[in-house]
Amino acid sequence: MDKRGRILLIVVMIGLGFALVAGRLMYLQIVDRTDLAARAERQQQRVVKLESKRGTIFDRRKRELAVSLDVQSVYGIPSDIENPRQMAQQLSRILREDPKTLERRLTSDKHFVWISRKVGPGRAAQVKDLGSKDVGFRFESRRFYPKKTLAGTVLGFTGMDNEGLEGLERSYDKELRGVNGWVLAEKDAMGRTVFPGGPGFQYRLPKAGNDVILTIDEVIQHIADRELERAVTAARAKGGVCIVMDPATGELLALSVATAHGRPAFNPNEPQQYRSSEWRNRGVTDVFEPGSIFKVVLAAAALEEKVVHPLEKIDCSAGSIKVADRVINDAHRNGVLTFTDVIADSSNVGTIKVALRLGRERFAKYIAAFGFGNKTGVDIPGEIPGLLKDRRLWSGVSIASIAIGQEIGVTPIQMAAAYGVLANGGMLMKPYLVSQIVDQSGGVGKKFAPQPVGRVITQETCAKVSRMLQRVIASGTGKQAKPTGYSAAGKTGTAQKIDLRTGQYSKEEYVSSFVGFVPASSPKLVILVMVDTPEGNIYGGAVAAPVFRAVAEQSLAYLQVAPDEGGGSMLLVNR
Amino acid sequence: MQTRTGDIGSFVFERGKRGSLRRVMAVLMIVAALLLYVGGKVRIVQLGYQIEALEKEKGDLERENRALRIEAASLSSPARIEELALKRLGMVRVAKENLIVVKRQQRAK
Repeated sequence: MDKRGRILLIVVMIGLGFALVAGRLMYLQIVDRTDLAARAERQQQRVVKLESKRGTIFDRRKRELAVSLDVQSVYGIPSDIENPRQMAQQLSRILREDPKTLERRLTSDKHFVWISRKVGPGRAAQVKDLGSKDVGFRFESRRFYPKKTLAGTVLGFTGMDNEGLEGLERSYDKELRGVNGWVLAEKDAMGRTVFPGGPGFQYRLPKAGNDVILTIDEVIQHIADRELERAVTAARAKGGVCIVMDPATGELLALSVATAHGRPAFNPNEPQQYRSSEWRNRGVTDVFEPGSIFKVVLAAAALEEKVVHPLEKIDCSAGSIKVADRVINDAHRNGVLTFTDVIADSSNVGTIKVALRLGRERFAKYIAAFGFGNKTGVDIPGEIPGLLKDRRLWSGVSIASIAIGQEIGVTPIQMAAAYGVLANGGMLMKPYLVSQIVDQSGGVGKKFAPQPVGRVITQETCAKVSRMLQRVIASGTGKQAKPTGYSAAGKTGTAQKIDLRTGQYSKEEYVSSFVGFVPASSPKLVILVMVDTPEGNIYGGAVAAPVFRAVAEQSLAYLQVAPDEGGGSMLLVNR
Repeated sequence: MQTRTGDIGSFVFERGKRGSLRRVMAVLMIVAALLLYVGGKVRIVQLGYQIEALEKEKGDLERENRALRIEAASLSSPARIEELALKRLGMVRVAKENLIVVKRQQRAK
């Protein structure tokens, strides 16, 4: 081949080479374009989450009960860490975590690992002082409950990703959480995130969660917490509940749950330190047989239906009564009592005689009207409707058992709401815990008004029952419930618990309770106290009634309610 | 070959002097414009850094403010105040026997 031919050959080969490259380029740009563009986008882009700030929970006077704060989380890039074992040992001393767990994280094949999330400022500073370039820090929001144990089971708590897991944190999670934002960032060849900026910058700013204002008053909650805990500790009980409610509106001013004696009160700042059974709010999730405090429902129904008069005499001298195949006794022998004294002295025989007069149809109707057998609708998750047998399934003895508070399971919140009916003139109010939801601009997002469920009895009947319940405190079983300077009405209860081994009523385990309202002349508060399985003196009048008195005295003084004894012209002074 | 170096040289020199001046002026103007442009850019970058630093400081202060608010809320809890009042200040709860109930005087009508 001559020189010209060789040049021509080289030109042709170069041309072919270019043609091949051009062809491949055309193939990639035209045929494979969609797939490759999508793959490039996946490889080059990263959606960075912008966490929204969780709203604050306040008490009724805007005192903070649950607040979020940015704290630092420590992370590592395993591929960058030269000596994972040494690093794990250094970190474990500061973060107080198992060095082997840390080493496992640091040698993981992941690109990014959390070493420890949401650490305190002191520990974060100590990790920084190590001066290692292999670990980094990122701010994350952490939930704090500054009042510690106060209203712990009401507030609940959040998880690691700030999602509500228990209590109001859970039931109002949507409101509190807000909406997370995002930024579409790019990744460089090293996998680092680059925020492009400029006109094509795509992002959505996070929307902070709303604030929630409760009906709870932190001072009344503290009074209830303290007095209940004292009683539970003194009685070596398995727990207790104290509810303080405004009977006119259904607002809950305090909902205190005590853990078993010897166990610390539930602190939502460290839920993992407690048993899961201690997270729940027993005021709404647990049933108990109410015992004598339920006699009030029978009394209200019988007076409303006019089957008995408060001063009518009822013969209780036998000390026992046989209904169907069961004999029911009084705790102590009584003579002939007025119906008022039947309630004041808590006579089972007298109560059952009146119940039999009323009949199961009418009695069942009033039980339902007082809200038993249905959820109250209170804001806390996990509420149960209680245990109430359908009237058609009642046995021959059921009417007698239920009249004295057996064969029925109620929740403390149902019982408090039922006494609210007697205190406010006959209206069943829905108990509630959240009064307002406020958005971050300061506007009121939602305002919750009191919700009447329905009229149960007339004002006249309420007044009659109230006088009977005042008698319980003046001369009956509830003398220790009497608050100084204030009139009060209420009822004691001492109910046998079911022995789970035998299925029979236990002779050792009781639930002691007291429910009532103060001042009796113009009720401002309904207070329920329930103490589970006290030891020693098990009577409601001795275990629960003093808690009622202490909570009533201190709460009324705090609310500046004038003492009403002596025709409303009394004044309490310090000697 | 006849030459007119002097005249031409003088002419060339005149032309060259004026042209050089123009070039120098043009270069100076370009340099000045570039300096202005670069200076502006540098200033923008510096201000950007300052904004970033101030934003960070603002964020830190806001975080500190929130932390202090939480601490204040924690310190003002009723349980802590009660403990301080009883244990450190020696205050006592009014005992029932120290309370008397007196009748408030009715106002004369």
